[in-house]
Amino acid sequence: MTEKEVSITINGETKTAEVEPRMLLVHFIREIAGLTGTHVGCDTTNCGACTVIMDGRAVKSCTILAVQADGKKITTIEGLSKTPGKLHPVQKAFVDKHGLQCGYCTSGMVLTSFWLLNKKKKVSEEEIREAISGNLCRCTGYESIVDSIEEAQRNLEKEGEYTEEEIPVRRGR
Amino acid sequence: MDLSEKMVTGRGNFVDDINLPGMLHLAFVRSPYPRARIKGITGGITSRDIDMKMASVGEGASAGFEYLEHPVLAKEYVGYVGQPVAAVYSENAYEAEDLVDTVDVDYEPLTAIVDPEKALSADPMYPGLKSNILADRYLGEDFQVDAPVVIEDHFVNHRIATDPIEPRGIVAAYDGKRLTVWISTQSVHTIKQGFCQVMNLSPDAVRVIQTDTGGAFGLKGGFYPEYVVAAWLAMKEGRPVKWIETRSEHLLASRPGRGVVGRMKLYANREGRILGIKGDVIVDSGAFAGGSGEFSSRFIAMQITGPYEINNAHIHALSVLTNKVPQGPYRGAGRPEAAFFMERMVDKLADELHMDPVDVRMINATREPFKSPTGLTVEASKPFLEQAVKAMDYQGHRKKGNFGFGWFVLVPATMPGETARILVEDRGIKVWLGGTAHGQRHDLFVKSILADELGVDPEIVEWQKGDTDQLKEGVGAWGSRSAMMGGSALVEAARKLREQVEKKYGKYSVSKLLDGKWDSYEYFHYDKPYTSLGANLITVSTDRYGRVRVDECISYYDLGKVLNMDNATGQNAGGCAEGIGQTLYEGLMFDDNGQMITSSIADAGVVKATMVPRYRLILHRSESTLPSKAKGLGEAPTIGTPVALSRAIEVATGLRITETPINPEYLISAVQEP
Repeated sequence: MTEKEVSITINGETKTAEVEPRMLLVHFIREIAGLTGTHVGCDTTNCGACTVIMDGRAVKSCTILAVQADGKKITTIEGLSKTPGKLHPVQKAFVDKHGLQCGYCTSGMVLTSFWLLNKKKKVSEEEIREAISGNLCRCTGYESIVDSIEEAQRNLEKEGEYTEEEIPVRRGR
Repeated sequence: MDLSEKMVTGRGNFVDDINLPGMLHLAFVRSPYPRARIKGITGGITSRDIDMKMASVGEGASAGFEYLEHPVLAKEYVGYVGQPVAAVYSENAYEAEDLVDTVDVDYEPLTAIVDPEKALSADPMYPGLKSNILADRYLGEDFQVDAPVVIEDHFVNHRIATDPIEPRGIVAAYDGKRLTVWISTQSVHTIKQGFCQVMNLSPDAVRVIQTDTGGAFGLKGGFYPEYVVAAWLAMKEGRPVKWIETRSEHLLASRPGRGVVGRMKLYANREGRILGIKGDVIVDSGAFAGGSGEFSSRFIAMQITGPYEINNAHIHALSVLTNKVPQGPYRGAGRPEAAFFMERMVDKLADELHMDPVDVRMINATREPFKSPTGLTVEASKPFLEQAVKAMDYQGHRKKGNFGFGWFVLVPATMPGETARILVEDRGIKVWLGGTAHGQRHDLFVKSILADELGVDPEIVEWQKGDTDQLKEGVGAWGSRSAMMGGSALVEAARKLREQVEKKYGKYSVSKLLDGKWDSYEYFHYDKPYTSLGANLITVSTDRYGRVRVDECISYYDLGKVLNMDNATGQNAGGCAEGIGQTLYEGLMFDDNGQMITSSIADAGVVKATMVPRYRLILHRSESTLPSKAKGLGEAPTIGTPVALSRAIEVATGLRITETPINPEYLISAVQEP
């Protein structure tokens, strides 16, 4: 297969590599950039374990080819906190509110929540549930995740850590 | 680092995150037919290279079925769609997948045996068998009663994919002397036992290390053919080998749970007293022995009388071969099936007699500890029921309408006990348990126990993943046993440690403990059942399209001492979601030819956040007599939720519920056009 050069900026660092056109973005992130916090859970874009932020929008990186992400800016779970050693308010909420059990869906859940709370400051429980309905969790029954997102909302409000300019949020699904 | 912090920053170490120099990627050629003869194979690693049969180890293991053991790679015939036939490998995972197409298999398709009830009398699946019946036992004694009320029904709990969000996976490496595997598992000890038995390796020659495990729900207590092929290739090539399951492979070829038919006949008098129960339990065991199929029919039959004092019971427990992947344990593993059959019969009896369902339950509950004719031991269930009804406000719900109530006996897998090790060094404490957490957060209760027993700061206690070099023996994390058995082993190990410190210094103190280096190991042996009671109450509403919304989900459980409240509420919530899933959405469906028509994790019905309510857990406090003082929990909500929810739907729609998942077309049939 003819390889193609792509450059993708992940968490502020630009990674350039020759890749097969069929390579999925999630594999570029995991294998080429070596960032294994983004997970693969299904083959069909249902589970959301591979969710990342691409140009401000939460996307499932198993449904995007690396060549489609050429020139784009990606934020993965490893790059969410801009302060080394300090958790992002959404991450902190998931720790404080016990928003995970096995941890496999967590990076996707955290990034979808981050996207949601950037898009809308005040969200209801119903909106939270709708927003994460593309992210499957089999351990928690979602309750502690919903609690975490509500807590994240309070954290963001308190700390004023909205990053709308930095990551423009486009229209949702 | 705290497990939560690790996970929210993407620093977990799951099996697919391991990349070793020179690593090969493995992919499998799988049968497209449910039943066929193999006339020839060209290419790939086949049974000519690996002529081995699987061992049955772990939860629900069976023995004595040599002729029906699963071949590592198919030999002469295939018995289900997805069965591994050949393996290919490459340095690149994409290329390994490409190579699957280079293997040519010549099949002669045969008529598949799909329906478990028809399989009982169908021609035998394999030459040399007299029938397709894998296990055939009667529990209890046959009886005759003069009963004015006799009701019968037929139930199906369809197969369910275990569907952890992280699929199965393994990395195997060999240094010329020793096989080391990194694996996503519920028990490193089961996996080691599997390798030793199947590949004839000495225990010293195998090390199994658990990676972060992204959910398991029964699946990852098992030992699978793909693991053997990965190890075989690592040993042959002298290079590390990785295999990661895709979700499609998971749905087709990973052992699913449930898949049970119940045919029940209940005898009662007009006052609602149950005089006896007869029936058949038929487990759809799949194409080979070695899963939990053989064990589960008698396990279900044993539990059939539930929390009731029923003096006559006679149950035919049958496990039957079908052309499907072998059945395995899925959270609950036989317990939800037994409760579904019994509770659905009791609700039908109440309807038949125009009685309140709880009144019928109260009449049949026991004031004294009771041992049923099928061998189930139950504590006095009537006082529990009286308290449950009050705590859950049964009467208040009765006035409001669409709700259902169900209760059950939880039979945790206590036997044969569990192991624990505590290592104190460099002012830190490390803990290993014989059963390895895979999403239950054992780290939380481990901290709570050691804070209580040793008076140490929970922050310095680190729960460790499984490693057969660190803990020589162990059982596994399944069957609602971890807090009871693992917790008890840890309490005992902590007490031993205290004694060691006292012996050396005359008096125990935390600073003396942390100043030294200590190593305490305990195998807490336990060989009796230890049952407990639980109840659920659920309210629903329905819309004009027949869709059901679960509004309220209340659990009233006897958990003994709650070691850690976050653990308890998390286990309850996750289990309730799975119970709702089983009732309304989750099932693996097959066409008449034996092809699975469920094609994605969405089709398989794993619930989304929009499909479930908030949960309420009410504690019935009565400490157990075990060192940990805990009772079972993990599976409780998967038992109680489907029975309460099925009844709630029955009340809301007027439709009799006998099958899970409930077919949406059936629900629509109840809806009147406005």
